[in-house]
Amino acid sequence: MTNRSLPRLLQAPAVLLLLVWMLVPLSITLYFSFIRYVLNSLRRPEWTKPALSNWRGFGNYEFVLNNKDFILAIQNSLLIVCSILILTVIFGVLIAVLINKIFMGRGIVRVLLISPFFVMPAVNAVLWINMILDPVLGLQGLAVAGINEVIDGLRTLPVLGGFFSMWPEIEPISFRATQTSAYAVITMVTWQWTPFAVLIFMTSLQSEDQQQKEAAVLDGAGAWSQFRFLTLPHLARPIAIVVMIQAIFHLSLYAEIEIVSRGNGNKNLPYLIGEFANNNIGAASATGIFAVILANIVAIFLLRMIGKTLMD
Amino acid sequence: MGRIVLNNVTKSFGETQVIPPLDLTIEDGEFAVFVGPSGCGKSTLLRMIAGLEELTSGQIEIDGEDVTQVPPSKRGLAMVFQSYALYPHMTVRKNIAFPLRMEGMDQSEIDKKVEAAAKSLNLTDYLDRKPAALSGGQRQRVAIGRAIVRNPSAFLFDEPLSNLDAALRVGMRLEISEMHESMKTTMIYVTHDQVEAMTMADKIVVLQAGVIEQVGTPLELYHTPRNVFVAGFIGSPKMNIFSGSEAKKLGAYTAGIRPEHIDIDLSGGTWKGTVGVAEHLGSDTFVHVHDTGLGDLVTVRIAGDVAVKHGDTIYLTPQMDKIHKFDEQGLRV
Repeated sequence: MTNRSLPRLLQAPAVLLLLVWMLVPLSITLYFSFIRYVLNSLRRPEWTKPALSNWRGFGNYEFVLNNKDFILAIQNSLLIVCSILILTVIFGVLIAVLINKIFMGRGIVRVLLISPFFVMPAVNAVLWINMILDPVLGLQGLAVAGINEVIDGLRTLPVLGGFFSMWPEIEPISFRATQTSAYAVITMVTWQWTPFAVLIFMTSLQSEDQQQKEAAVLDGAGAWSQFRFLTLPHLARPIAIVVMIQAIFHLSLYAEIEIVSRGNGNKNLPYLIGEFANNNIGAASATGIFAVILANIVAIFLLRMIGKTLMD
Repeated sequence: MGRIVLNNVTKSFGETQVIPPLDLTIEDGEFAVFVGPSGCGKSTLLRMIAGLEELTSGQIEIDGEDVTQVPPSKRGLAMVFQSYALYPHMTVRKNIAFPLRMEGMDQSEIDKKVEAAAKSLNLTDYLDRKPAALSGGQRQRVAIGRAIVRNPSAFLFDEPLSNLDAALRVGMRLEISEMHESMKTTMIYVTHDQVEAMTMADKIVVLQAGVIEQVGTPLELYHTPRNVFVAGFIGSPKMNIFSGSEAKKLGAYTAGIRPEHIDIDLSGGTWKGTVGVAEHLGSDTFVHVHDTGLGDLVTVRIAGDVAVKHGDTIYLTPQMDKIHKFDEQGLRV
């Protein structure tokens, strides 16, 4: 045995395991996506067993593409992921910079800020949709009712009353309605994941070189210039990491969508797969392959955009 | 212009006072070096002049104007840091241009100034590189370039050469000295290395525990140190300082003699001792002598080469007019 083949041989079990880990599910999904395979069918009981004799070619793909929810699901996936990314990075940077200053009770504030991250996604969704965003019983409903009451009171004023009478009653927003449920999902996931961004940015800010900042102060840079020319470039790498990790996680959001609207007009790809998987495994597998393709497009896009900062 | 005056300046961190009331004047165009052991407050003093550290009390004037409450960027000073403090994601060009950009200067004007500074510092070929791709000496030059373009009334250097290797340090020392000769701008330079202080300074300020021990030209400090601390700190190798009966014979509580002011003889002299180590440098020989009755190891510096080795018995004779005498308080007599 040569010197070179021994390390290869020793690596082989790990490589093999990873290959099997990845390839087997992918091949099974590919196989299912090309056959007719349902869980339950009284008319065609032969379709309930996966078999090559049920070959359907690209029929499943055609079926999925023609489904009215498919394009919406892709749009929704992208809308939700991109919005969450942008919001968490902006809030994350702002909060991290804010709590990087030394103040009384900084430790407690930091722990409190991180805590949303430890809430389970399903619990997070239930809390938000029932207790905060509910148009009647949630904080939103109470706030809207309160504001309306105040305006009502102002209408009775002697002179200004006429002016306030022209104001309309404010209507609470129902976040379970089809158009707005995506925004509810974005809100709650942003709330949950901003702490993750804060955590990463905070550690990065602590490694910022203080002499650079002092040099910048002497060079006449104000607070904004220091942030713009020193802190932001310093955070480029952690921002890249936060964007990458979150993109991976949020492409597969499920619990929040299920709880907010049961996918009512607000499906993303994983949710659509879930719906198909109630019976039509073939279509679910085809959608899964589409999801893999979408994830890869997003990944290539991200690597192009972000890879550079990571390599530097 | 750049005359800097410190009046009754103090600094405390919490309860501890690191700089007791201190007065100092640095004349326009002067090269002043703050030197002292680490922790003596020299960097703190420099940072207070720069405005990076607030004064606990007292006043700082630049050109007759009270700048105690003036923000750092408005004091017209430029500072070079020990770690260079370059902006890592900017090219050399952008680094040097940064202070001008903050001033809101015209881009064409900025380009002109940056090119000129780069040329004078031999950085023209590196303008589009990032600091990470430069050597230590080049980085230091970029930091100096960033200071020069601002056209400051005084330069502040905070141990700028400590991160460089020995050979580069000597080269940069010369470059900074030449820069001072050609620009005639006030410079304040902080170092713990007395060789840098001696070679570069017009005026040396020796500090210990926040107190100024002596202010003077390098040769004043060498020839007439005001106290034992300055005597031991300035000069290399260190002055031989001894007290006790041998000092009493000379009419002092403590006495000191520099290694270069001791003559050796193999047959007879004032003090007898045994050679511990003889360091042959070619141009000089440093002989470290034990058991002379002076307490500590005595170091002797002899020009040229002398054939002494470990274990030799040797006689030392000090040049009497070069002996420094100090009283009980450690002050010069």
